Amino acid sequence: MKLITHVREREWVVVAGYVLFVALMVAGYYYNITFVQLGLIDLGTRLVGMTETAVSLWMGALALVTLVVAIATGVTMDRRGWSTDLRTKLRLLFGVVCVQFALTFVAPTIRTVPAFGAWVVLASLGLGVGFPVSFSLAIDLIPVPDRGYVAAAITAVAYFLANAIPLTWSVDVFSRLMVAAMAPGILVLAVLSFAGFERLDALLDALGAQHETHGTGRFCHGAPVRVRSLAFAVPVVLMFGVFFVDSLGFLRIIDTPSLLLSSWQSPEPSTRLFIAVAHVVGAVMAGVIYANYSLSRVFLWTFALFALTHVMYTSDLRFAAAFPSIAGDGTSPLNPALYAVAVSFYTTLNFALWPDLSTPETVGTHAAIGIGVAGWLATFSSTALALYFQAVELTLLSHLNVVQALSLLLLFGLAVGLYARRMVELARGQGGESA
Amino acid sequence: MSPTEAIPLLLVVLLMISAGGGDVQTMSVSFDGDTDVDSVADVHVAAGGTATVPGAATVDGDVYVIGGTAVIDGTVDGDVTLLNGNLSVRDGATVTGTVQTYSGAAAVSPDASVGRLSRFEAPAPSSSPAQRVGGFLLRLLALGGFGWWIVERHPRVVENVGAAITEHALVSGVVGGLGAATLVVLFVYMAFTLILLPVAIVGLVAQFLIVLYGQAVFGYLIGTRLPIERDGVATLAGIAAFLLAFEVLGVVPLLGGVAQLAVAAVGFGAVLNTYFGLQRFEPVAIPGES
Repeated sequence: MKLITHVREREWVVVAGYVLFVALMVAGYYYNITFVQLGLIDLGTRLVGMTETAVSLWMGALALVTLVVAIATGVTMDRRGWSTDLRTKLRLLFGVVCVQFALTFVAPTIRTVPAFGAWVVLASLGLGVGFPVSFSLAIDLIPVPDRGYVAAAITAVAYFLANAIPLTWSVDVFSRLMVAAMAPGILVLAVLSFAGFERLDALLDALGAQHETHGTGRFCHGAPVRVRSLAFAVPVVLMFGVFFVDSLGFLRIIDTPSLLLSSWQSPEPSTRLFIAVAHVVGAVMAGVIYANYSLSRVFLWTFALFALTHVMYTSDLRFAAAFPSIAGDGTSPLNPALYAVAVSFYTTLNFALWPDLSTPETVGTHAAIGIGVAGWLATFSSTALALYFQAVELTLLSHLNVVQALSLLLLFGLAVGLYARRMVELARGQGGESA
Repeated sequence: MSPTEAIPLLLVVLLMISAGGGDVQTMSVSFDGDTDVDSVADVHVAAGGTATVPGAATVDGDVYVIGGTAVIDGTVDGDVTLLNGNLSVRDGATVTGTVQTYSGAAAVSPDASVGRLSRFEAPAPSSSPAQRVGGFLLRLLALGGFGWWIVERHPRVVENVGAAITEHALVSGVVGGLGAATLVVLFVYMAFTLILLPVAIVGLVAQFLIVLYGQAVFGYLIGTRLPIERDGVATLAGIAAFLLAFEVLGVVPLLGGVAQLAVAAVGFGAVLNTYFGLQRFEPVAIPGES
């Protein structure tokens, strides 16, 4: 791990880059998985009085608008050279955080559907600009060999905080916490973006020049990785699959009180802590595997874990359907813990992958398309499918059975794909080591 | 009891029935409400509610209790096994075989006729010193013999696994922990299909053997640091030292157990990463790494 070398050699500027990146990404991701994903549902259903279906439709719209804005932002960043300009990126981020601060502050006061819709559109603009900008900071702040470990640290801290801190999933609670946490963050970003004194300028100049040494991602040292090349398209499709499977399953799980109250919303602090620790363990494992194995191995582990998780969930439900008397006392925390490990795995991969598939000239576009298509489009599609399942009154078991089938198919498909690729290599006489 | 928690108990019953030569296909199970067990094809499993063998009834078979309550008023011509829940053998009841209690609450009336009453006591770690020394020597003999053989015959293989332990302990530990945990869950679910029960048993035994293989390599690594010239002897001495240290770790509460698990995981991962020692483990090269 290069961070240790930097600390030993007292290269504090480089170390400050690590700290800044982790802090920004943790804050952003924590905001996304709590306020956006959970607070919005509460805001729409409880305060505005919309049906869950209507709120889900608006969340789908949020995902689509975010995707469009992100791609526009990413392409603009690369074309105008903002991707390689640290100060511009920090200023953009400052603007995004200001917008989100205002939106977070006013969210609990929203009571009408038009106001809710306007809030969603404005939030999409903030998110759409925010994530390509924040992901592109990796090329300035994080050396390539450490990206897996740094991604693991971001995932571990964000998920640990989200699960270990016992918050009610209410927009008022989230809003108060976020406003208090964002205020000092805005101040720091304002100083970094606009203040001009010698030491700060020197720090930002040094960090801003780092993309020249470690801006080229781990997977970009051979043939150039373009948006239309398989080297980029395949990870996008695979990540789309992971996000889709996760989102489709989780949407139904959090809609099922017996599953929710025995896991993420359990009144027992020990259960939440258990899940929080599982997230940390999963993130550390993913970081180590990302840094030491090929990308295909990380994907295989991710799919295997998801497949196993859903096999366990559906087995439990089948068992409970067959033997209701045994299943009467709630569910085991083992299933959500395994789910947490799987989620941490792909989240870590998501944080490290897109900068590693980019160069300083392409990081805006690649991060926007990668996260936009894989993350937001998958969320939109899975929400739409979940709504359809709801409309046709699909049972919990049938719903999760579809998710299980998809996860097993992804695992099988990837294994077959890797095997076939090796066969093609051998047939072409390239019998060397496979990636 | 959640399904996840019930599955292992049902699995244990299935294994016990299979081991005893019983037919798992003909067993009957009661899960809910009050059930009168008047006749049993081979085995009855009480998993929930209240299962009663009425006073006038004689059942020819075994009864297992894994949840709820089982009441014996009549005659059971076989064994009664309590794994969880409550068992009551009342006045005038007869059990021709053994009433075996592993866990749960059992009440056996003095006026009941029971062939044999047995309560399972988990073996205490602080059993007699002679027993402990005997057990230690037995393990040393088995592991030491294997270690001696593999170091003398296939030194390259042990070197590769040893290098994965010393040079890539974290990676080995992660892969070992993840792989072992995933495989255990997989084998348990395979066993529950009954069709794959033999595969699951073989798999679990294989997992255990891999852990032992890893331990033997730890012994080899210790042996290389001892002032003993001959490799086989050094490995044997190293394995003895390792097993002794492993025993000492077990005495330390909590942290000792965690350390033992970590060592087992590192060994397990190192064996897997090197394809049982056939290939040296090299992590992928990331550009920019010095």
